[in-house]
Amino acid sequence: MKKTNPSFLNGVPELLVLRLLACREMYGYQIVDEIRTRTGEALAFGEGCIYPYLHYLEAQRQVISRRREVDGRNRNYYKLTVRGRKRLDELTAEWNRVTTGVSLLMEEKYA
Amino acid sequence: MPETKFIKQLRRRLVELGCPLKRMRRLVREVAEHREDLKQAAMTEGRSQAEAEARADAQLGNPLVLAEQTMVALRQSSWWGRHPVIGFCVVPILMAPVLWLLLFCLELSLGFALGYGWDLRKLPGPDNLAAVRHLTITVVCAHCVAVALVTLFFCWFARQAAAAFKWTVTACVICSLYASFSKGTITPRSFQIAFSWSPDLVAGAVPLLIAGAIYFLLRRTARHFLEKVAE
Repeated sequence: MKKTNPSFLNGVPELLVLRLLACREMYGYQIVDEIRTRTGEALAFGEGCIYPYLHYLEAQRQVISRRREVDGRNRNYYKLTVRGRKRLDELTAEWNRVTTGVSLLMEEKYA
Repeated sequence: MPETKFIKQLRRRLVELGCPLKRMRRLVREVAEHREDLKQAAMTEGRSQAEAEARADAQLGNPLVLAEQTMVALRQSSWWGRHPVIGFCVVPILMAPVLWLLLFCLELSLGFALGYGWDLRKLPGPDNLAAVRHLTITVVCAHCVAVALVTLFFCWFARQAAAAFKWTVTACVICSLYASFSKGTITPRSFQIAFSWSPDLVAGAVPLLIAGAIYFLLRRTARHFLEKVAE
């Protein structure tokens, strides 16, 4: 996440990563690539920064990792846990609350 | 995975920052795999291998910054890492009752092992100076062992939380001060655990010796690891 993001976007990287992992297990490169492409390149993780973040989520037991071989390449795949899913629900509810509030304000006509 | 300059710099910096070796190996492996994916993606776009490698390194950013970020994330992931002042300055002082209990249990166990037990007839009286000396040595040893165990406990937490070495030293110094001024004493038919203004230098030296031993052990392990990798 870019440093210029305002503080109210804290928690967005966590939301994005958990949301992606809720669909299927992924490895670091895939997560970064998916965030970039699926947000229309509006949001992008620093390529190397994803790993400290994934390790942090793993320490919080929101994700688990396992070594898996696909197409001859061994990689660490990350998967959402029950705790991660609960956290995702919380973050999604919070996100919906914020976006609804912002939308209401933005829809008001200029005087 | 190929040993590139980026990977070497990342590994060295993580070791310098005191990252546990297991974590460091995993992160380096993941970043190396990520770099390989970036390189493959660049080559698919028609770039040469050298161009693809340069692009992958540029996309990954500065390895030194990445190492710092990793350590911050590692520290933030545990309570001890998030609250080092409380964890390594205040909690060691609050551990006093635990230390006392440990000391007491150790002394009782050693008393039993030496055959004094709870039997009053076997407890040394004023006339049995050899037994008093025997138990005094036991109490001092138990005190030192209890202090060492509490110190090792905090050092282990500091290592697990990837806390900076200064926090290990801080916890050891506090344990040392505590051990210096608390002491267990034994006199005929009396056992006391108390604070005293006259420092017990032997017990006080134990945490400092542990801190020194850990420092040299960590340095040696890191040096050996880096030498092994460089071969």
